[in-house]
Amino acid sequence: MASETKLSHTAAMILQALDAGFVYGFSIMEMTGLPSGTVYPAMRRLERDELIRSHWERQSIADAEQRPARKYYELTKAGKATLQASRKRYPLLERLIPSEEAKSV
Amino acid sequence: MTPSRESSLHLFHLGLLRSASFLVPGKQRAEWWREWYAELWHVRHACAPPGSVSREGKRQVTAFCLGAFQDAVCIRRQCRQIRMPHALWQGSAAQCIFSLGAALTASYVVALLLPGVRAGQILSPHQVNPGFVRIQNTGYSDDSSPTILPRQYRAWKERKQPYFDGFAFYRVTQEPVQWESASAGPQASTGWGVARASSNFFLLLRLPIQFADPDIEAAGNMPKVILSEGIWKREFGANPHVAGSVVRLGLQNARIAGVAPDGSWGLPGKVDLWLLEPDSAISSGAAGYVIAHLTALGESEMWRPRVPITVNNSNSDQPEDDLLGVSLEAGTPDPWSIFLFTVFLALLALPATTSVSLGEYAVYSHKPSWSKRLYRWGFLSAKVALILPIVYFSSLDLAYGRTTFDTTTAVYIQLVSSFSICLFGLNWALRDQRQRCPVCLRVVAHPAQVGQASRTFLAWNGTELMCLGGHTLLHVPGLPTSWFSTQRWLYLDASWAFLFAGSGTGMEHKAITGFSSP
Repeated sequence: MASETKLSHTAAMILQALDAGFVYGFSIMEMTGLPSGTVYPAMRRLERDELIRSHWERQSIADAEQRPARKYYELTKAGKATLQASRKRYPLLERLIPSEEAKSV
Repeated sequence: MTPSRESSLHLFHLGLLRSASFLVPGKQRAEWWREWYAELWHVRHACAPPGSVSREGKRQVTAFCLGAFQDAVCIRRQCRQIRMPHALWQGSAAQCIFSLGAALTASYVVALLLPGVRAGQILSPHQVNPGFVRIQNTGYSDDSSPTILPRQYRAWKERKQPYFDGFAFYRVTQEPVQWESASAGPQASTGWGVARASSNFFLLLRLPIQFADPDIEAAGNMPKVILSEGIWKREFGANPHVAGSVVRLGLQNARIAGVAPDGSWGLPGKVDLWLLEPDSAISSGAAGYVIAHLTALGESEMWRPRVPITVNNSNSDQPEDDLLGVSLEAGTPDPWSIFLFTVFLALLALPATTSVSLGEYAVYSHKPSWSKRLYRWGFLSAKVALILPIVYFSSLDLAYGRTTFDTTTAVYIQLVSSFSICLFGLNWALRDQRQRCPVCLRVVAHPAQVGQASRTFLAWNGTELMCLGGHTLLHVPGLPTSWFSTQRWLYLDASWAFLFAGSGTGMEHKAITGFSSP
């Protein structure tokens, strides 16, 4: 997908959250304040458009912490380029979700 | 909250997720459930950990689970969008070519399977060996009438001929036949077409005999018969060991020596079996047919399909015989020649049935690029290239599909069917081409009536059709006028693209990623 593709503000926020290190659905919900009914469908579309990709956590790690394995998301190369373009369109995006936020999660 | 109520609430949340999961297509349901189940575990531990009495936390978990329905619906819609290319397949150039290819395959397979079509033999250019003529009396207008008496045949055969080096004689009669079927026991028929032929008949015409048994060939105590392939299949169950069986023709027993493959050999008369007799046995009786093989001199002299032959009788008191030599090759035009002839006729007739224009007139002076024009011409050429073999094989299917048709009937059936199908096919190819968008070659759709017929002379009226890809609009005048006589294409610019988002062209990406704000 071309980097100049225009994203909605919601999609841009989700990309920004992923870039900031919030790598699963619930953490993105918490960070953006968006409901699950918005975040997860948006991530489906972003994944379909190859702006993000997902992978399952290793079962051994989840077993060690006695919890179910979860699905993690990350930006693709196209996703990063699109995010760069979206930051120009939404200058406040980085202020809403600064990258430092992720370090505290 | 008591543990029992907590457990009930958890079951309720799981029930919500499970209900939502049924909206997800089956292939993705397991992974979807796994992800939401894991997320629910984390949401519960974050918002409403065990032992917590926070109502707000429980409400948040419930709200989280309700969001699963929106996610499930989203995945369901995505799957439908993935299937949309199947809808776009309808009316596309690829679908047209695929359909024609399927029709071609079907007609070819039918040609191979239908009894009587004998595809391999009909396709062979050597179904009639060259250098043979059928000699007949000029006094008969009907070529299929037997006109040569056995005594004439015998006289020609006994004399040295400069133009011919071999003669064979046969005459066809309807005779009762009895035979023994391997499966049904003794059988009888009141009338088969029995060709009583000179013993050199198959040798002279170099016709192949299948399932011949050398031992039976050597045994000379009983006349031999050669079955036609149609009778062999129909009455003898295509038994490959049929050679050696005895059939009774009237009062005469004969032994089956083999099977002659069906084919268009240019021989008149419908023959079910050939009874090979020595010349002495056919020295008298009714008239028949004489086949003669030409010498090199004869071939150089008789190169035309029909050549007059004069026979000087040895007895000077008798008048000369005026005969006609008809080439066996000329007697049965091969299917390929008939096909080419009918294609030629169809091309001549085509302008009388439809306009040969491709209707590529633009409303404005817009010209598609060279590559688009080449693509369009290539598509038309591909259609015609597929239609022609369909015409050939389907006409063969119709003409030779039934073994009961004689050669002449089959030729006429092929002539008519090949011409009709070819004319219809070419007509369709042109009409179809005029209905396809010059940009994407998809059939235009959604016809809309514009204007009123009563106002033809004041304003334009007709039908507008739309390319589903959003490239063009087609204006077809309801009543051709001097200022709007042919259909015209209006090429749509990019400003129209938003109307066709998701149709497989143009602006899909904007439509896909343009999420609505919450």
